[in-house]
This record gives sequence, structure tokens and C-alpha cells, in this order.
Amino acid sequence: MNMALNISSGPHIRDRWSTRFIMGIVFMSLVPAAVVGVVVHGLHAFLIILVSIVAAVGTEFLFDVICKKGRSYLDGSAAVTGLLLALSLSPDTPLYGPVIGSVFAILVVKCCFGGLGKNFINPALAGRCFLLISFSNSMTVFKVDMVSSATPVAEMLAGKAVNVTSMFLGTSNAVIGSSIAALLFGGLILWAFDIIHGEICFSVLGGFTLFVALFGGQGFDPVFLAANICGGGVVMGAFFMATDYVTSPVSKLGQTIYGLIIGVLGGLFRVFGQSADSFSYSILMGNLFTPLIDMYILPKPFAYRKKAIARQNGEVPKPFGQRIPRSVKVIAVITLLAGLALGAVYSITEETIKDQKQKAAWQSYQTVVPEAMNFRAVQAPDIYGQIYGTSFGRVTINEAVIGMDAYGKTVGYAISVTSSEGYDGNITISVGISADGVVNGISFTELHETPGKGMLAADADFSGQFTDRMVTSFKLITGGAQATANSIDNISGATVTSKAVVNAVNAALDFFNNAKGVQ
Amino acid sequence: MDTTFRGGVHPKGHKELSRQVPLRPYDAKGEIVLPLGQGIGKPAKPTVKKDDPVLVGQIIAEADGFISSNIACSCSGKVKAIEKRRTISGASAECIIIDNDGQYTMAEGIGVKDDVNLLSNEQITARVKNAGIIGLGGAGFPTHVKLAPRDPSAIRYIIANGAECEPYITCNDQLMRTNAEGILEGLEIILRLFPNARGVVAIEDNKPEAIAAMNDAAEKRHVSNRITILPMKTKYPQGGERSLIQAIAGVDFPVSKLPADVGCIVDNVGTIYAIGRAVVYNEPLFTHVLSVTGEAVVNPSNLIVRNGTMVSELVEACGGIKEDVTLKKALSGGPMMGFAMSSLDVPVVKTTNAITLLPEDEVEKAESKLTNCLHCGRCTTVCPQGLLPQLMADAEHVGDLDRYEHKLFGLECISCGSCTYVCPAKRPLTQIFKQTKAEILARKRAQQQAGGGK
Repeated sequence: MNMALNISSGPHIRDRWSTRFIMGIVFMSLVPAAVVGVVVHGLHAFLIILVSIVAAVGTEFLFDVICKKGRSYLDGSAAVTGLLLALSLSPDTPLYGPVIGSVFAILVVKCCFGGLGKNFINPALAGRCFLLISFSNSMTVFKVDMVSSATPVAEMLAGKAVNVTSMFLGTSNAVIGSSIAALLFGGLILWAFDIIHGEICFSVLGGFTLFVALFGGQGFDPVFLAANICGGGVVMGAFFMATDYVTSPVSKLGQTIYGLIIGVLGGLFRVFGQSADSFSYSILMGNLFTPLIDMYILPKPFAYRKKAIARQNGEVPKPFGQRIPRSVKVIAVITLLAGLALGAVYSITEETIKDQKQKAAWQSYQTVVPEAMNFRAVQAPDIYGQIYGTSFGRVTINEAVIGMDAYGKTVGYAISVTSSEGYDGNITISVGISADGVVNGISFTELHETPGKGMLAADADFSGQFTDRMVTSFKLITGGAQATANSIDNISGATVTSKAVVNAVNAALDFFNNAKGVQ
Repeated sequence: MDTTFRGGVHPKGHKELSRQVPLRPYDAKGEIVLPLGQGIGKPAKPTVKKDDPVLVGQIIAEADGFISSNIACSCSGKVKAIEKRRTISGASAECIIIDNDGQYTMAEGIGVKDDVNLLSNEQITARVKNAGIIGLGGAGFPTHVKLAPRDPSAIRYIIANGAECEPYITCNDQLMRTNAEGILEGLEIILRLFPNARGVVAIEDNKPEAIAAMNDAAEKRHVSNRITILPMKTKYPQGGERSLIQAIAGVDFPVSKLPADVGCIVDNVGTIYAIGRAVVYNEPLFTHVLSVTGEAVVNPSNLIVRNGTMVSELVEACGGIKEDVTLKKALSGGPMMGFAMSSLDVPVVKTTNAITLLPEDEVEKAESKLTNCLHCGRCTTVCPQGLLPQLMADAEHVGDLDRYEHKLFGLECISCGSCTYVCPAKRPLTQIFKQTKAEILARKRAQQQAGGGK
């Protein structure tokens, strides 16, 4: 009988999961985002990804060879770092960018601190931030049709409207891995394999959303919040970067705290820092808290927890079957907390939102009565907020103001009017009328119509038709009909919207004509 | 959903190799070697000397102290020697060697049925003690000590452990299928000692035949409603006593406490069967069930073996090692908590519940996949004690034994091996924890001695 038996300490069997297997899954989960990025942004994006991965693995290979460190470049972690870095770069980055970023990430942040599992911050993010700071001009170039332009988040921060749908799909003008749909799909893969857990993802997203809702000035406006979450690497950060095993805490409570730190810092940088690339920095700062959290927030073994000690001392647990499942309790608590948080945010932001709305209205008055230095509200409490007249549909006058020049002389009137008969809810317009009854122009303060159809109402082609005309009421005509003194051309395919706008303007004119004497 | 504990792992069972093979008694042909130390406690003191004739069931070594147990002879013949021999752990230890005459002549009074109802509680525990019964699940704690807690009326659960969660092992499955009534008989006897206790037979749900057999026997015997046959979820280490108590009684307790401190007594079904034999038939423990299994053996089997039979003889009795494979690793016990034997020329002891013969060594293969710790937290998720193995290994690495013991509660590790099993970085966590625990305990002893000397 063969007697050369192996001796080792137990257990004598091992799970099939290895480091390389985990890295393989993480890599595969990023592939959908990479594919969308390449399809949307073209060959150069593919080259960036390729160069970044090759540079990352190559750097680790050289380090291993020079420092005689075995073959850690084969464990797949360098490839993941390279891919993650590439996905967080602009598709127009010059190719030296990913090379420098990957070398910095692998050599300085990872290898110099002891290799896999020893880095104190996420290498890919560190590489990205190194590039952003060192080569900020060439790294933040985003081109559309060969013309430099701003990312959606930068546009949003500049106060412009953004297209959330294209941000979600990844067709917007952002980094290569900006497709939220693909990232969520990848996140689901990681979740299915139990590689990422809800604690970090949800506390990052929750903290961020709550902060933006509280201080972003637009409360729970879903479009605003969605645009904030879908832009600036928040989703990639929450699912792929903040969840990095090495640089996140061990305990569930620790992970939740860590996630909230990242989310709140991200919101702070976004709202008050007005920076489009800031989310990376918030994750890096969160990483720095990890050792501290792991030092103090340690879950006790089961036997030392409060309930266990009570039971050791004779408290008898409820028989099995009468115990409420833990999952039910957790969901109940989460629901309750979410409800409280929503209520709190609503009550805190209600005033702010009102102020913002008022500010927006006054800005639009200024637009339609440009000569005015000052506005004075016209008092007509029994008319405001009611359905106005019988011939304008469901239209209400919100407010009318008199615009005055620096000497107090009346230069025009602005009337805010809302039609609730838009194709998709309310349309609110400020109508500016000069002192002699000529329409100065109209400005939309509320418009949620169908993009490409009703939304065209805000275009000069349609709204400009009202400008500089003096009539008692406008008449909507369809394309091709003979233009008359008071005719307004219909928006093709958006009759409902056109009609609502014309009705609203007519109501404003009617109110103006009736109330002319009122001061 | 079946009852279970928190954490745990799902290693591949490999039980199909032997689970349908019925129990078969195997009488040793060669010499019998009985180590004096079997299980936990002080080694027994021999009561025979060289050349003494011995019979089956005769007590040939007596317990030395409270935590120690008798040893009964498992064959007839005469004492060949009392000397050091290599034992299953690889170390040499004092053994009684019997020249087996192959007759298996029984000692007087053994196997005679008694009316249990006439026995007092003291007589019952005395018989258990005399029979030399220890925990057959692996730890080998003297059973008569377990059955004598400070306050018998505080015991709420007697758990008959038929979980058999270790991969490969199937002997208890077969024992429950064929001797269900004997197990219930033993359990009823124990319940007599503990008036406030309920009996629970815990069986993993991958053994439906055993569950059915136990249920049938319970019906046939009209057992009282104090006994429940409870299917458990198949998950390692379901059969650990702490896992069972957590799942059934809902109590976690630290290693400084014993199951009896939280009102529970856990005994392997094999032990309970032995208790029944000892009390009813006055039969000491000299045989027990054992699986000879693994991919390297020709006929994986479940055997009733005599204590002290040589492992090599059992392997031959099961057809030997397959010709087309090389035996890489031979385990005493299962692959999770069993230990690797350096040689097959060692005797089985009471606690040997399996001989697992493997043609592949996964530990050796995993060495090439060793990487730094990823901090993935899989070890934390599976730890049935709720420990943080990754941080414990970190603390050990930097030599911070104070943090290891007091902040991370490292001494609570039960060495179940779950963390090592799931570790993707293939780190030998359990080994580190066993060594660190030994180091800390050694240090404490040294400190106590230094303190006592002053």
C-alpha cells in the first residue's frame, strides 16, 4: 500500500471559488457597460479600455518580475482595475491617459502598499483622480460632433435641462461607462453572486439622494433627483467602487455608516461644490474611514449579543413558528424610516421649493418685461387661483404684476397663467404685455410635454409668434391655413399643447384688458 | 423550511458513495490495539497485565479521575503487551495490545436483558459510566459526566444528534435506518433522568430514509409526546452541538459555558444507542459504527467495528485501494473536521466514525491559488459563531493577540473549518486559529503558574 500520505490541518476540502473566479465575475459584470460605451462612443473608447487593461496587467507583471513577487498579475484584479479606470474616463481622453492612470493605480496605490488586498484606497479611482488633477484639461474634454461640450452633470449644475433618458441609457455625453442601465445589470450580476451586498449600495445611493433632496433646492422633484443619480458616476461608484472589498468595512453596520459617509460627501460636493467629477473624491474619502470604522465597529459573536445573553440567563425564546421572521422586521423598519425621512425632507424643503418657484416666476417676469427694474403685485384675490372665464378652458390666473422703471413709471405688465389642459399636466406661462397693450413675449415656467412635440412650444418658432403683436385674442390655425392678424400657427403633432398655450395667453390678455384700470 | 442555524456552508456531500450500503459487522482477524486515552480526559489505568486472558466486554482499563472513561476489551484472547504504539493522531501513546484468538468469547453477564424500569437513576448513570461510553461524534467527552449536570431539572432539551453533516460519512444514517428502536430506547432512558426535558432527534433532510425509519419506530414504540423527530436543513456544521442548540433551543452561548448551562444535552445517535445497550443489556462499549469511504476505496462500506481494529485491516476488508488511483490522503473522520493520518497502521478508537480515503488532495491543489486576503467577507458570512475570521487572521498576522482575544473573541472559534472552506484566497484560516488559540491558552497557563508561584 502506498504510504506517502499527505498531512495537513483540516478542513481537507475547498470551495471552488478562488480569487481569480471572483475577479472574473466582477470583470464580466463590467462588460455590459463597456460594450454600451464602445457602441455609443466608437473605436477610440475601445482603444482606451484595451490600453488601460494592458497597462494595468503589464505594470503588475513587471512589478512581480522585478520584485520577485510570484504571479499575482494572473489573479485578475489588475484587469478589473484597468477596466474600471477606463470606464470612468471620457471617451475622448488621449491614449496616454489610461496608461498613466493604470500605472499609477497599480504601481503606487496597489503594489507599493503590498499588492492585492493591501491598498488603502480603490486603485482605479485613485488613478482616475490622479489623472483629473494632473491633466485636468485633456481629461475633461467631452466632444459632441467634434465640438467640445459639457457633460450632463456640468450642464445641470449650470442650470440647464438635461435628458435623463439618454443618461440612463448611456447615450449622453459622459464617461465611457456611463450607461446606468448596463451598470445596473452588472450590479445585478454581482448581487446574484453575492459579491456585493445591499448595505453599501443602498446607503451610498440613499445618503446621496437624501442630501441632494434636502439641499439641492428642488426637493423630491423626481426628474431632478434622477438626473443627479444618473450622472457623475454615482451609480458606478455605488455598485462597483464603494463596494470594493478591500477598502470597505467588514461589519454590516460599518458598511452602512461608510456608505452614508460617501453618499453625503458626494451630495455635498455635488450641491455646494458644484463639481461634476466629485463623486470619485467622496469614495476615496470614504475609503480612508474604513480602517477607523473596522477598529471600532465590530459585531460581537452571536453568543455575546444582548438577546443571547438574556437567553443564557433563562429567558425562553418563543417556539419556532411563532417567531417573526427577521426579514419581515427589517423591511418594516426600513419602510418606517423611509417614510419618516420622506416626511422630514418634504417639510424641510417645502419652503425652499416655494421660494425657488417664486424666484423662477420673478425671473420669467423679468424676461417678458425686460425694461422693468421693479415689480409690484396686482391685488385680485378673488380671481387668482380660480378657473378664469368660460372661453379659455381650464385656465387659472396665478398672479399679475406691474413692471416699473427706476423712476416708478409703469413700463409693462406680466401675468402668470396656468392651463391644466396640457398633454401632460400643467403648462404655466408668464405673459409680458407692454403698457400700451403689445405682447412683449411669453416665457414658460412649467412645461412637461412630449419631447420633440409639445416641448417645441418653448421654441422661438412657436412662442416667438406671440411677440410684438397687439390683439385682443389669438386664434390657433393649422399649418397651411391663411394667416390673419391674430393667427398662431399650430405645432405640428401637438394640437393639445398649442391650444392650451393659446388659451392661456388669451386668458392673460383678457384679464389685462379687463383689469387695465386696476392699479 | 427546515430548522437550522445561522451561517454555515454547503460542501459537496459525496454521501452517495456509501449511503445505501447496509451496516455490516466486521470482526478483526488480527491483533487488537486499545489506546488507553480515547477521547477527552485522562487516559485510563490498565487493570490487566501481560499474558492475562481476556474476554469480550471485560473492562481492562479503568477511568482515572472524573473526566476519564473505562475501556472494554473488544475480543477474547490474552494480553500481548502494554506498550507505546502509534495512534490515529500520529503520536505514540500507551496501548493495551491483545492477541486476538478469533473466538470472541463473551464475558459473563453481558447481553442479558434487564428490566429498565427496576433500575434507579443512579444505577443507570453507573452503568453508562461502567460501559466506558464517550461521545462518539468525535469529541469523545465522557457521557456519564454529561448525564450528571448540577441541576437535572433545568435541562430542557436532550438532542439526539443524527445530523451527520460531515461530507462522506453515512454510518449514522445506516444506524438510524436499522436500529431506530434502539436509539429511541436509549433516548427514553436519558429522558428518565431529566423530568423537564424534551427529546429531539435531529436529522438533516438529506437522509429521508433515516427520518422515515425514526418516525416509524416512534410510532411502533408509542413513544411519549416528549420525543420529536426533527428534520434539519442540510448544511455544515449542522451537527455541531452549538449549531443544534442554536437551531432547536434558540440559544447562543460562549465556549466558556457547557450545553448543560443553557439547559441542553447533545449526544450523538451512536452514543445514545450505546447508552441503551449499556443500560438494558449491560453491554459495555466495544463496537461502534464507522464508514470506510472516499473515492479511493473499492467498496465504500458502513461497518460495525470492534474498538482497536487496525485501520489497514478495515481498508482491506472493504476491497482495499482502487488499482487505478493513488491514495493521496487518508482521513480519520470526514473532510471538514477529520484529521489526516500519516499511516494506516493505527487502531480505530471509539471516536473514529469514518475512514475517508481520498485520491486527490484539495489542500495541496489550493496552495497554487493562494493569494492575499481580499476582505471579501465570505468567512464572516459563514461563521456559525458570528466571528470575523478575516480580522482575526489580520490581528494574528500583526501579533496583536490582545485584540484577537478581547475585541475579536478569537477564542470562541470552534474550528469547524467553514471559513477555510469558503475562502477564495485559499488562506489556512482554521489552522491559524487553532495555533493562535493554543498559543493564547499556553500563555495564560504560564501567567497563572507565575502568579501562583509568588
